[in-house]
Amino acid sequence: MTTSCSCKTWFKAIGLAVVVVAVIGAMIGYDRGFREHPQPDWVTATPEMRFKYGSIGAEHDAGVPYWIFYVLPRVFPEKFVQDGKVAPGGYAALGVAWEQGQELPVGFTKKTIGFARVANNCAVCHTTSYRVAPDANPVFVVGGSAHTANVQGFFRLLIDCAKDPRFNSDILMAEINRVTDLDSIDRLLYRFVIIPVTRKRLLEREAQFAWIYRPDFPEWGRGRDDAMNLTKYFMIRAPMDDTFGPTDMPSVWNLKKYVWDQGHRLNYAGDSHDAYSVVMDSTLGVLGAPPADKAEFLAQVQWLKDYLSELPPPKYPFPVDAARAAAGKPLFAANCAACHASARTGTPLPLAEVGTDRGRLDSWNKGAAIKANQVVRDMGLERRGLVEEDLIGYIAPFLDGIWLKAPYLHNGSVPTLRDLLEPAGQRPKVFWRGYDVYDQTKGGFVSDTPEAQRVGTRLDTASKGGGNQGHEFGTTLTAEEKDALVEYLKTL
Amino acid sequence: MSEELEPKTNPWKRRFAVLFLIAVALPLLLGLILLKRFGGDVPVDYANPTEHFKYGSTGGEHEMGFPYWIWRALPEVCPQYLPGKGYQSLGMVYEKNPDGSERDVPVGTSKRRFQGIDRVFVNCAVCHVSTVRTAADRPPTIVLGMPAATFDMKGFEEFFFRCAADPKFSKEYILPEIARQGGDLDLLDRYLVYPIAIAIMRDRVLALAGRFDWVFKQHDWGPGRVDTFNSAKVIFNFPMAHLDPAEFDAPADFPSIWRQRQRKEPKEMQLHWDGNNTTVEERNKSAAFGTGTTPPTIDIARIKRVEDWLLDAAPPQFADFFPVDRKLAERGAPIYKEYCAACHSASGSDFSGEYVGTVEPLARIGTDRRRLDSYTYTLAVNQATLYAGYPWRFTHFRKTHGYANMPLDGLWLRAPYLHNGSVPSLRDLLEPAANRPQAFYRGNDVYDPVKVGFVSDQPEANGRKLFRLDTAVPGNGNGGHEGKAYGTDLSTDEKAALVEFLKTF
Repeated sequence: MTTSCSCKTWFKAIGLAVVVVAVIGAMIGYDRGFREHPQPDWVTATPEMRFKYGSIGAEHDAGVPYWIFYVLPRVFPEKFVQDGKVAPGGYAALGVAWEQGQELPVGFTKKTIGFARVANNCAVCHTTSYRVAPDANPVFVVGGSAHTANVQGFFRLLIDCAKDPRFNSDILMAEINRVTDLDSIDRLLYRFVIIPVTRKRLLEREAQFAWIYRPDFPEWGRGRDDAMNLTKYFMIRAPMDDTFGPTDMPSVWNLKKYVWDQGHRLNYAGDSHDAYSVVMDSTLGVLGAPPADKAEFLAQVQWLKDYLSELPPPKYPFPVDAARAAAGKPLFAANCAACHASARTGTPLPLAEVGTDRGRLDSWNKGAAIKANQVVRDMGLERRGLVEEDLIGYIAPFLDGIWLKAPYLHNGSVPTLRDLLEPAGQRPKVFWRGYDVYDQTKGGFVSDTPEAQRVGTRLDTASKGGGNQGHEFGTTLTAEEKDALVEYLKTL
Repeated sequence: MSEELEPKTNPWKRRFAVLFLIAVALPLLLGLILLKRFGGDVPVDYANPTEHFKYGSTGGEHEMGFPYWIWRALPEVCPQYLPGKGYQSLGMVYEKNPDGSERDVPVGTSKRRFQGIDRVFVNCAVCHVSTVRTAADRPPTIVLGMPAATFDMKGFEEFFFRCAADPKFSKEYILPEIARQGGDLDLLDRYLVYPIAIAIMRDRVLALAGRFDWVFKQHDWGPGRVDTFNSAKVIFNFPMAHLDPAEFDAPADFPSIWRQRQRKEPKEMQLHWDGNNTTVEERNKSAAFGTGTTPPTIDIARIKRVEDWLLDAAPPQFADFFPVDRKLAERGAPIYKEYCAACHSASGSDFSGEYVGTVEPLARIGTDRRRLDSYTYTLAVNQATLYAGYPWRFTHFRKTHGYANMPLDGLWLRAPYLHNGSVPSLRDLLEPAANRPQAFYRGNDVYDPVKVGFVSDQPEANGRKLFRLDTAVPGNGNGGHEGKAYGTDLSTDEKAALVEFLKTF
């Protein structure tokens, strides 16, 4: 009796201890692994800060643990590569818009979900960097095209690092311990869970990202992405095909100009019905997974759509020759307005009519649209969605803020406005993208100086998807008329 | 139940006690002994702020510290990598003990016992202390806070990397040298701690060698200079071989560090030669990387002591070393006011002035651009990640496009002049660039009170070979800061008066 009684007490005590330990363990596990903390107030202090640094929820699945993100450039500097050359400078070498004094570049969000994680938001691809002169600091324009950002370089970097045998707890922890003082729980978590799991997750990406390693495709380089293939291979898990449709990251300001019932469509080939759908689909793309919290996600999409609808295009910041611009105005009316300031603006035009590179058009199709819409519907998300039709060609774009949307054409194959007014045969065949000093004469970014060649990525217009043909409009004007037209375009 | 078992427990009790002794008490005791031997983290401390500045710790020994006796032994183990005898030959300053012998470590080094071994590494004073002699046959005066005009930092770095790669960097050579110098290592040190420390240190230094490889490829900085911000790129492990070549060869003089309070109040000045940071404390922590600190190992409390002392530390007066012609100086005062004061402040103690502490665009100042180009926007944004997770994360580094207008406190001790120390004396600086010395010798601590600067035409001093600075070498350009506005068109008399007035700073 006494024996069984004391045994029982013992069992009870042990059981209680186990429960207490388990509860404490679970609380610590929850606190350090999953507990969500809001971002600090400064992040949401203004709409622009929120757009630049605010989380859109991507930290849950696509987030990289902060301290891993932090030490990668120090452990793997040789993996920051551009045009086949090692590019010094850590993440800055990837051409991200990085404001001085900020811990992370624009478009990179830091949020603690158990542990601090870094992910992206829309601003990473939609913030333009420009400089007024080589010895000036950059100005960042939110909502503009991230013409400097080497997105493929970033995708590859994470996978390349994970594939390296030096991506292990010993080496990464040694470097982490050199830069911060983690408490013992975080140290254990990093060593035994976070680093191995991160490595595994990044390696899983390799299969999905197989096409960005294809040696028979050119690199995207700065400012371009193969957007519809990203959607195909990630959202609908389509088998890899041979299409390649590199395009410039688009500007996303002033979205209110798109009116669905006037036939306006979005994306370069009119693939999407409306701004709300594009914002939602792009956000899903950054999340890389169904949203963790649907209501929060929908609120986020709505906020982005509202913010970008009202975000004005940037005014040309340099002096404009008013007389010359005035002379350009009728030239614009005669040569451009029929497509770029008319009922046709914002609607798809048949490819044969414009004649630009068809790579992007071929990288998407009706079947893919139907599947992608189904995927989004299955997440329980409502939107007009992708256009379930055969696509005829590219949209005639609105030209608001056109001065900052260089390089030109959907695939960014023409460096400046002035070059675009030349016949295709006389446009630059090779130039360098992603250098951010502005060329006020030609309207675009400087693309061929030694400095541009050092900083930027080389675009060969003979490469797959990079053709600079087509849109031969206004190309027969006189040089003087072309200059006047360019001057007028600066005022849009 | 207990009554029945009791008789049986007696032998067990003893066995248990023995077992306890062997399994718990002895290891515990041993553990405590080891903890006492290897567990501490104790730096040397000095109550006096100036002693603390000279020999106190910034925390750099944790990560970078050399075991004390290895530090002592290396100059004898690898003499071929030094220009002369001991660290003295690199221009390090040794104070004398009361008995007249030299101290065991130079000014600018600190000691800390960490992980059971005394470690030595540099502190702020290594770059901000030097000596002055009024004549070649006069004893040197040690001046705290002045640029380390005699210290050859590049030579210092190269010495360690070369020595670590030398076959003699082994216990077979180092331990006997320690014994010869009187290092009475105990058994544990001799057979365990030091042999392991030597191996670890060699590995450490050689592992870092790749990061510092670029240093070997630079034109010599010579004494008194450092390539500050290429060194800063090493913190991030930038792949230096792939940098734009225009960023290299960017030596700059060590600055003086007196009167910091006036650099933050009433308004924050743009600090560093190119004015890339406006926060004294952030600038200090940034400089502390050079003393081997890292965010987790920096000794904030002890750096704060240095920081506080520097707020009001003042330079010694020229007049305490040489006579000043007060009448002539008075004639120079209005010239200074007209030409210099707006950018360089009212006097050596009054830092008011419209442009003081702000950046002058390079196009206007026209001095050598390499130091400016070595500091890139890319580096500035990376620096904003330093001390992430700490309340004092760096937030103030900015890429600028010129050089900052400095107040001139203690100007006479800040020779040679311009950011790259390319002009030996104040008098030379008042000449148009074409008339300034094309080449001269740096590193002498004998002072020239006439031209106001260190003696620069002697190839040797105190038996030490001096560094010949050739202004044609990249980074050494002595152009700029010239023209009417900069006083180079003044008459010889006016220049003499102006220089005399500058002696009062």
